[in-house]
Amino acid sequence: MTVARQQQSQYLDRASSSALVDVVDLILDKGLVIDVYVRVSLVGIELLTIDARIVVASVDTYLRFAEATNRLDLARSGTETHGLPGLMDEIREGGGKKKTKGALEGVKESVSDLLRDDDDDDDAGDGEDDEDREPEAEERKRPRRTRGSPSHRERER
Amino acid sequence: MAEDGRACYVYGVVTDDRPDESVKDLPAVGDPEAPVALVRHRGQAAVVSEVPVDKPLGSPEDLRTHARVLDHLAAQGSPVLPFRFGTVVRDTAAVADELLAEGHDDFARGLDRLRGRTQLTVRARYEQDAVLREVVTEQPEARRLRDELRGLPEDAGYEQRIELGQLVMDSIAAKRSVDALELDRRLEPYALASVSEESTSPDGLVNASFLVEDAKREAFEEAAEELAVHWHGRVRMRLLGPLAPYDFVADATLEGKEGDE
Repeated sequence: MTVARQQQSQYLDRASSSALVDVVDLILDKGLVIDVYVRVSLVGIELLTIDARIVVASVDTYLRFAEATNRLDLARSGTETHGLPGLMDEIREGGGKKKTKGALEGVKESVSDLLRDDDDDDDAGDGEDDEDREPEAEERKRPRRTRGSPSHRERER
Repeated sequence: MAEDGRACYVYGVVTDDRPDESVKDLPAVGDPEAPVALVRHRGQAAVVSEVPVDKPLGSPEDLRTHARVLDHLAAQGSPVLPFRFGTVVRDTAAVADELLAEGHDDFARGLDRLRGRTQLTVRARYEQDAVLREVVTEQPEARRLRDELRGLPEDAGYEQRIELGQLVMDSIAAKRSVDALELDRRLEPYALASVSEESTSPDGLVNASFLVEDAKREAFEEAAEELAVHWHGRVRMRLLGPLAPYDFVADATLEGKEGDE
């Protein structure tokens, strides 16, 4: 028995983490907020909150995914990839090919300045597509809380 | 304290039965030299340390220390109510006379409801190659685009690349909702409550937190291990905890909430 459990635990990582991203996800915006007038406000926190919650869904990200997909060695793909074909068919009907672009347009302006970094988009060469290549950004939705009730209900829609 | 440019950082509230020694060697936010102490009031105690008010908080080390103190308290088997990072009060007198006095009933409710319960948090992320392989296998369109791009020089096929990338990301998003459901289905039976949020990384599957009774913790951990074995090769799973109940403390202190048995 003990042996079996030791073997299993190599699949589940139990190491406590001090990686910043873990700590940020765990504690930021969490915990009790007290509302007393003796409270002292120290700056420096709000900014950090914003930075940590932003995820870029840009043309660059698409290109990275395309690149990763292209260099996949399919010859090595075994039968282990047929995990959830039935379920996948179902999902594909609904969300398979929706364009994320429209939904992102609204927040583009507000965050694109923050996100624009040094490596500009001149590597692919053809300037014609410029308007399609503006960086787009999405601020991650706030965590969906499912207070008290089972959380899958909310996700099911 | 306020006069000399220092104030009181508050980590959270615990029950009064903890000895002073149980916190005094913990690291402190803002000023590593400052001792962590308990400010007691009517059966409850705030966990505090002094911070200089002229230095903004929020460095990575500050965040880590906040979590370390609270998780240490949570692991000792007596309840803790974690406060939001950055809670600072004028001085220790204000902690006792204002914070603890005013919040007494809410804190009592929270401490009572969270006794014998801790938070366990699961971080799941996809193994990128494995999930991409699934997408290419399951989506003929992805396969077609991929084949099309194969024959093209590196700087051509821009549109197809975008299309492929978008299709792949959408497909992973669909997988995410299926797999997050599966994780919840397997672990929820051992938990009193759960909260999940989307991961902030493109490979991320889900971050899910569970409030687990001490008596069920082992069963919960076993179920998590089983799932990690089941997903081995396509999803990497991590289990953090026992942690302070960051995701559940707000509900636990709410008045009239009968989530309690």
